[in-house]
Amino acid sequence: MSASSRRVVLTGIGVINPLGLNATAYWEGIARGQSVIKTLQAFDPAGMPSRIAGEIPTFDAKNFIDKKDRKSLRMMARAIQMAVSGAQLALDDAGVKKDQLDPTRFGVEFGAGLLPTELEELGHASLASSNGEPGDVDLKKWGAASLPCIPPLWMLKYLPNMLASHVSILHNAQGPNNTITESDVAGLLALGEAQRIIARNQADFFLVGGADSKINPLSFVRQCLFGNLSTRNDAPEKACRPFDRLRDGSVQGEGVAVLVLEELEHARRRGARIYAELVGFASTFDRNRSGRGLARVMRIALARAGITPDQVDHVGAHGLSSVRADPWEAQAIKEVFGESSRPVPVFAPKSYFGNLAAASGTSELAASILALMHRVVPPTLNYEEPDPACPIPVSRSAQPGTHPHVLKVGFTEMGQCAAVVCRRWDE
Amino acid sequence: MRKRVVITGMGAISPLGHSVEELFRSQLEARSGVGPITLFDASEFPTTFASQVKNFDLGGYIPDPQRFDNSGVNTRYALAAAHQALGDAGLLGSSNVDSTRFGVYLGAGEGIQDFANLIPLIRRSYSPEQNKVDTVKFAEGGTRDFHAGREFEQELHTTPGHVANYFGLEGPNYNCLTACAASSQAIGEACEIIRGGEADLMLSGGSHSMIHPLGVTGFNLLTALSASKGDPTKASRPFDLHRDGFVLGEGSGMLVLEDLDHARRRGATIYAELTGYGSTGDAFRVTDSHPEGRGAIACMQAALDDAGLAPPAIGYINAHGTSTQVNDRVETVAIKKVFGTGAYQIPVSSSKSMLGHLIAAAGAVELITCVQAIRRGMLPPTINYEFPDPECDLDYIPNAPRQKRVDHVLSNSFGFGGQNISLIVSRFND
Repeated sequence: MSASSRRVVLTGIGVINPLGLNATAYWEGIARGQSVIKTLQAFDPAGMPSRIAGEIPTFDAKNFIDKKDRKSLRMMARAIQMAVSGAQLALDDAGVKKDQLDPTRFGVEFGAGLLPTELEELGHASLASSNGEPGDVDLKKWGAASLPCIPPLWMLKYLPNMLASHVSILHNAQGPNNTITESDVAGLLALGEAQRIIARNQADFFLVGGADSKINPLSFVRQCLFGNLSTRNDAPEKACRPFDRLRDGSVQGEGVAVLVLEELEHARRRGARIYAELVGFASTFDRNRSGRGLARVMRIALARAGITPDQVDHVGAHGLSSVRADPWEAQAIKEVFGESSRPVPVFAPKSYFGNLAAASGTSELAASILALMHRVVPPTLNYEEPDPACPIPVSRSAQPGTHPHVLKVGFTEMGQCAAVVCRRWDE
Repeated sequence: MRKRVVITGMGAISPLGHSVEELFRSQLEARSGVGPITLFDASEFPTTFASQVKNFDLGGYIPDPQRFDNSGVNTRYALAAAHQALGDAGLLGSSNVDSTRFGVYLGAGEGIQDFANLIPLIRRSYSPEQNKVDTVKFAEGGTRDFHAGREFEQELHTTPGHVANYFGLEGPNYNCLTACAASSQAIGEACEIIRGGEADLMLSGGSHSMIHPLGVTGFNLLTALSASKGDPTKASRPFDLHRDGFVLGEGSGMLVLEDLDHARRRGATIYAELTGYGSTGDAFRVTDSHPEGRGAIACMQAALDDAGLAPPAIGYINAHGTSTQVNDRVETVAIKKVFGTGAYQIPVSSSKSMLGHLIAAAGAVELITCVQAIRRGMLPPTINYEFPDPECDLDYIPNAPRQKRVDHVLSNSFGFGGQNISLIVSRFND
């Protein structure tokens, strides 16, 4: 983070999550303390090893988007529809009026993953060129007969940069526009980059988000093949149990969280309500997942925030409920927080709704910010039997929040790590 | 004063050669990399040609290429180009830099989908009467037919992950995918990471191939590709009146960006300085760029401001120049708006006339071309420029390279969806 006098604050939260369809409902869901992971409903999951998910069956983008803009929804995959809906909620929450924004100083940045094709869109094409045997596609027939059966704008519906593109078009955001594609840390990395851009005076106002949905047959099959999903299909609400000894894998979820980042003076001038200040950020790579990179990312973020571990209210963990990744994460947290004068509680939001992938970073940071506002550290669900391999103080029940900073951490299975420190705005 | 960022290493895998020298020499020879698609049978596609990478062997660069057998060419090209760039910078296996201060920021594309298994699987599970896929059948077949390792390697964070892991780069790790602007945006933001003090060194660039059945299908459906029936080497003709779309290319370009003080301390060879970066959004339509080039104008202007340069200082523009009707017209309008009447004095060329469009990797390979233009005092041409378009009336360096000493060069990249990036590289002066 550059030594800039421009401070970056968070002035809006737009969340669509299995727990609720706006930030208030999201927090109420967390306060309820119950997992919303259920048996998969969007399609028949028979034949898949994991048949549970954190879904949003009632999500309908038409409920969020102006009537005049609804025709563009046809060009948007589900994750894009979630992105534009979350962006609208964030802007509403920020209470910003269009004439308060200079379009050229208004940026958009999203974390996004692979957007899978809707299988039906290739249905007729497949009939015209394949007999169904694995490996059998007649490319001559595909070129001549299949290709013309596919909707002309097919590809545009699935480009990852279309989340940020559509958001910028709907809100006339002509500033920097980027899309980070780093799996589960994409949203946190986007947040760090937007902060850099505001700090170096190339924008005053930013919509930063992540949106993802792997609740479709193609993505779900692929995730099952990767082999890290929980198969606790008979007790879905118990399936995601980060750091618990009986965890058996992660759970897929879907959703979006968009945060409004704003330069402090810009926010003050328009009388914005300020949730928090973004005071520290770091990105590292953990080579061979030794744990050094993950510990380092937390240390750097804390150092940039100018605080010590014992000043942290709670750690927002990545907490996948993964057999292998949880101990790795716990050891890194212990390395950084082990010397702290008090046990700093660790909160793992995925225990409520599963892994939102590219949406996880901003969604889980939003949970931590709301927790700071309410001065509560929420429990990590299903933490029943501590695992000696994860020797950290996981929050077991709601406890009073005592400090103004949260440290949010995220990582990927390849080794990309990110951490963000936010301070509650107490002015 | 902010930190200065210099370029101290480069590498390229391209349709016109597998090294920076070969890439640039081919461009000065006005060669085209375009030919019939041989990667798959495209004979009945609307477009049957592309600019392919030829005779690539990862084993020519690293001793253990079998580690990446499941990876797509996006990762394999990236590893080879990264190996070149790091070697060129004297940083391969180097223990004299702090690896935690050495990051990666790529604009790398997705891996290639398993078309040969996906389509039959849809065929088996699709009911045309109901227009529905039987998801149980699909899941059952998918878990059997798809290869877990190769599926994983399609994920968008695998390329930057492999590059960081293989070469031991433990600093910030990013990947952005903003269509045709991706690797330029990656380089610009990587530069800012160094300027802000978060890293001393960044390996940055891009890698991509969309020359596969679904890639060509997608672009053909959008009618974005040239469907010329004539000589394929003539199909990419930026700024020419008869241009009819772009030609797909593939490859990777990688650059080592370094804090100037750091480069000096280790006695690195400095090829050029990255002085300007501009980034804007069109906020117009996902299918078209803004007709007056609003976003393109703003990003070129922002790059000039960032570099602290007046427009006449620019000696050469490497255009986005895709060879589509709209891009080349709008880019010309935008250049004239930013550079005024001086625009007619600035040579502008499109590397895509020879290389085709490397999509996410395009900007990095084109920026390498700009660095070489400064170093060699030679500007690459726009080939296939035969019929002037009255709406494209700048000096496009038609068909033959030009000798000219240039100190500051501007490179444009405009993404489908409205992301606009301009970068300026400058001759290094102490």
